[in-house]
Amino acid sequence: MMSRQIISEFVLEPGTGKAIELLKGQILRIEQVEGGQCADFNCFNLHDYKEFMHCGRTRTVHGFHPTTGTFMWSAPPRERAMLYILEDTVGRNDVLFPRCSAYVYEAAYGFAVHTNCHDIQAEAQREYGLTPDDVHDSFNLFMCTGVDEDGHAFMTRQTSKPGDYVDLLALMDVLAVPNVCGADVMKTSNFALKPLKLKVFAATDADLAKVPSVPTLASQRTPKDFRNSAIKTDRPLRRDPAYEAEFPNTPIVVTELPVALAGDELAMFNAVKRSDIYGDDDAAALRDLLFSWWEERFLQAHAGAPSIGNK
Amino acid sequence: MTETIVRLRLNQQQLELMDRTIAQGVAADREALVRLALREYAAARAVRAAAETAR
Repeated sequence: MMSRQIISEFVLEPGTGKAIELLKGQILRIEQVEGGQCADFNCFNLHDYKEFMHCGRTRTVHGFHPTTGTFMWSAPPRERAMLYILEDTVGRNDVLFPRCSAYVYEAAYGFAVHTNCHDIQAEAQREYGLTPDDVHDSFNLFMCTGVDEDGHAFMTRQTSKPGDYVDLLALMDVLAVPNVCGADVMKTSNFALKPLKLKVFAATDADLAKVPSVPTLASQRTPKDFRNSAIKTDRPLRRDPAYEAEFPNTPIVVTELPVALAGDELAMFNAVKRSDIYGDDDAAALRDLLFSWWEERFLQAHAGAPSIGNK
Repeated sequence: MTETIVRLRLNQQQLELMDRTIAQGVAADREALVRLALREYAAARAVRAAAETAR
């Protein structure tokens, strides 16, 4: 396909959200109408709602402000790229803050009822049989945030203008749930609630060609791989008397590896070892050095993040 | 020549990572890998320290 074809258009009014079936190869554009409006966004695998977009994994891979050229990932153990951010005309999004909730507005502002992203998300996805417990932390489009010196996340005003947009390309069939953020007494959307425009396009060949390949690994497990793949349908938790623990790679067995350090090697070691952490435990300090070196030399991702081909 | 023995304590997962690294030809064996790590780690810190001193 050479040019994008519009499949549907929708205006998201303040205080509302919309669950949209976005099929693989389709693009959802979330566009500013007046500017300055945060959009909270969630998505689920359309064919298995237990696979959903996970802000934690996404921010570990792409940082706190994912933008053009990054992915939205599903939670472990699926860990698949669900959506690709094809274009972002502002370049400032947030995966630090959870969705705002009724509790926030009651506790901090005294509202008995107030528009909030959790309840808007819940109401929108109710169209597909999901419950308020199925809402999860949102990808906050256009939201301008950071971390202060005390380690607290903060938000500030945003600079998006009318016509600014983010294009999300579906890499699998998803239920996409954008909503107009309910915060009008915070800086999130510059103290106002405004509409957002939604457009669904069929991606062109050029759009699809922009998506980098990501690894497909054995550790990306689906229900067919689970020891328990049945979705629990009642609420109380009861112990399974037949349960036998099968933790991977257990028992953990420690082996001693003697390493003889010559005088010059010992001097090198003494110059760099982390005595501040390990004290007199040279074995622990040398182990730290070994794996710190390994990270520096071989790791292709930020520490603790999966490698997807670039750092 | 005086040598000092440091007895590393490593679990099977850590040893697996070492062995896969060795299999790439990085070092001849586990002890050699530790020695290589020490030399390269120390050299990298020396370069950084020199750069900071030069500032």
